[in-house]
Amino acid sequence: MAPSAVARETIASLRHQIAKIEGRLAERLDAGLEGQPEHIDLVRHGGVPSGDLLATGAERFDRALGGGLPGAGLTEIHAAGTRDASAAAAFVLALARLSLERTNAPVLWVGTTESFREAGYPYPPGILFLYGMDPSRLLVAQAEKLTDALWIAEQAAALDSFSAVLLETRGNSAHLDLTATRRLHHRARDAGHPLFLLRQAAEPEPTAAPFRLVLRSAPAGLRQILGKPLARSIGPPAFQVEISKNRTAPPARFILEWNDHARALQERAAENPVPVVPASQYGTPAQAAAGTLVAFPSSARQAAAGHQPSGKQHPAHRRAG
Amino acid sequence: MGIADARAMYPAIEIVAEDVEADRRLLEALADWCDRYTPLVALDGRDGLFLDITGCAHLFGGEEAMLDGLLASFFEQGFRTRAGIASTPGAAWAAARFSLPGKILQEGDECAFLESLPLAALRLETRTIASLESVGLRSVGTVLAAPRAPLARRFGAMLLLRLDQALGEVEEVISPRLPVAPFSVERQLAEPIGLIEDIERLVPQLARSLKRDLERRGEGARLFALLLFRVDGAVTRIAARASLPLREPVAIARLFGERLAALSDALDPGYGFDLVRLSAFETAALDTPQADLGGGAVAASEDVALFSDRVRARLGRTAMLKPLLAESHLPERAASLVPAAGDPPERKAPDAPRRSVDFSPSRRAPERPLRLFSRPEPIDVPVTEVPEGPPLNFRWRRAMHRVARAEGPERIAPEWWLHGKPEVKADEIGKDEERREAEREEAEREAVAAETARTTRDYFRVEDTDGHRFWIYREGLYRKDAAPRWYLQGVSA
Repeated sequence: MAPSAVARETIASLRHQIAKIEGRLAERLDAGLEGQPEHIDLVRHGGVPSGDLLATGAERFDRALGGGLPGAGLTEIHAAGTRDASAAAAFVLALARLSLERTNAPVLWVGTTESFREAGYPYPPGILFLYGMDPSRLLVAQAEKLTDALWIAEQAAALDSFSAVLLETRGNSAHLDLTATRRLHHRARDAGHPLFLLRQAAEPEPTAAPFRLVLRSAPAGLRQILGKPLARSIGPPAFQVEISKNRTAPPARFILEWNDHARALQERAAENPVPVVPASQYGTPAQAAAGTLVAFPSSARQAAAGHQPSGKQHPAHRRAG
Repeated sequence: MGIADARAMYPAIEIVAEDVEADRRLLEALADWCDRYTPLVALDGRDGLFLDITGCAHLFGGEEAMLDGLLASFFEQGFRTRAGIASTPGAAWAAARFSLPGKILQEGDECAFLESLPLAALRLETRTIASLESVGLRSVGTVLAAPRAPLARRFGAMLLLRLDQALGEVEEVISPRLPVAPFSVERQLAEPIGLIEDIERLVPQLARSLKRDLERRGEGARLFALLLFRVDGAVTRIAARASLPLREPVAIARLFGERLAALSDALDPGYGFDLVRLSAFETAALDTPQADLGGGAVAASEDVALFSDRVRARLGRTAMLKPLLAESHLPERAASLVPAAGDPPERKAPDAPRRSVDFSPSRRAPERPLRLFSRPEPIDVPVTEVPEGPPLNFRWRRAMHRVARAEGPERIAPEWWLHGKPEVKADEIGKDEERREAEREEAEREAVAAETARTTRDYFRVEDTDGHRFWIYREGLYRKDAAPRWYLQGVSA
């Protein structure tokens, strides 16, 4: 159907506006409805356009994302509460570790003083222990104000000498709106490295990131000693990842663990069960009746069958805080 | 004469207490102002300045014009000055103080000029002058005529040194009060500028002239200073530091752009800046050829070092941090984030093989949390099962956490060898040496043991019922009388 003249006019003016925001010429924008000959060949995997993708290694998770997270571009990661900020940071560091594999370039972690004080400063020996990341590959930038931290992230996003940039902020702010996130997304995409926007204690709001993930902590698995799980031990960390904004698939929830030997994320397998009601180490079953834990293996089966729990039933909505 | 006498003679006299510091600051401000003529400015005593104007005079229209202009400017600012130009500092000092204002001595005329002056023109101590006068030598001419060896023997070597310096036979060097830049470029502006944009536009033009000199020597500079001279005399100095030697005008301009953006409020142009000088300090060899930034477009492949320089220029030294690992058991000392100092990064060949350090899971250090709080946060532990065991629940930031699983304890004792021995008092009266020594040692050992017991930490990794993992510790060993304190130091994934 040929677009009418008025529609073409509107589209042209919108393209000019977008081009002005991005700081580029309108003619260089991605091929639009009019199909201007740009000679950009678009590759599709399973109907989903794919570019440079960061495959995490957990197959179902990657499939739900359409191949993986964007290897060049903005991904927004929410920590469900301040207490989940470390889980979110751990997940993001796992992704940074994966992109560090590809290029041996430093990782930059930008944050505001407030966010570091609330959730803690990165601790290099811990990062070394969990992910085997060389402490010399980590650079931290700290700013007092959010605008300064955003400026640092924008400047870093334009460079191609980082393997990943993490921007950690707290709360909602008018500065992190659609235009600012779009700017970050395009700079990271042009530079060819991922940029992760890590938000603590923020309400989800529209941004230009193609994906939004909400992270929560999940009980860790058991340690494997001599091939057998060691009871009541705290093993490799686990995260509950919910894909809340996704272009290609409906929202989904997964429990992922970091597998150090394979250096990839993997979904929690059935043979690594988590004790639902752990008995105390010293014998008194005082909290046996607590019962706030959900049995995870069954929910994984539920997810596999395609019945995702709707957002309203999520325990976070039930809890008062 | 005393104040009372002076008041008696002239009742309306105004008496102000002497403020040496303020006088010195005023002198330094005047020295700053004289920086526009030459950077080699030195303070002389409490009320004088030395300027080394070798080679500068022609820029201001000759020595006469320069001197007249200098005196006129000082007069307009409200100072009465006397000045003199000579080829040696000693003769210039004498010319300024002991002759008509604006005396210019040609080379070779010092002897004739100095002969008629009193001895004070030689910068001698009053004691030496008094003893010379008591012998009958009252003018410099008579001292010059006297034989040298007996003079040295009787009045010291300083007299001869001053004579030789004044006549130019011994080189006297003025040490400038501010470090002198190896390279600097300055531009006199016909119309004073005050806007930040104008200054930013000027920086790359100056840097281009600087680049020629640096390129000829194959060097770059790591510290740049931009001096802005206001029309009324105040001087603003803006410094920018780079971790790699730079000489490209665009990179230098970007650094100063950030610096000026950070200082935009504090910069007070007054009526405008009429002289702008860009100096380069700390030159170092620059061997890697920098890419040609043609067409004014900034290349996207900028180094990490330049990026961190720009961040530091805009937001201060503590904006960029890097991990520093130390050999220590205490977690907060084992690794800390310190300001990245801006040292040149280690050179890594782009296709160098991965380092052969073993980061495999089995070889790493003890398990540590992912994030550490800058200060351990106190938590409230109502009950533990066994005194030395992990807590059953704890309250942190006003929320109650119930512990599902716990691992530990890991005991970390304080590093007594670093903190020094605590203060020990030994009872000295009535005991002989050996016993005193033994008792002192015993007291010290006990003090160290008590200190260690008080601050030994038992760390536990706990996981609560929601799946959050914390790293908490108990400070101090279990005591029957007081409950030990618990802290939360880190959070894990």
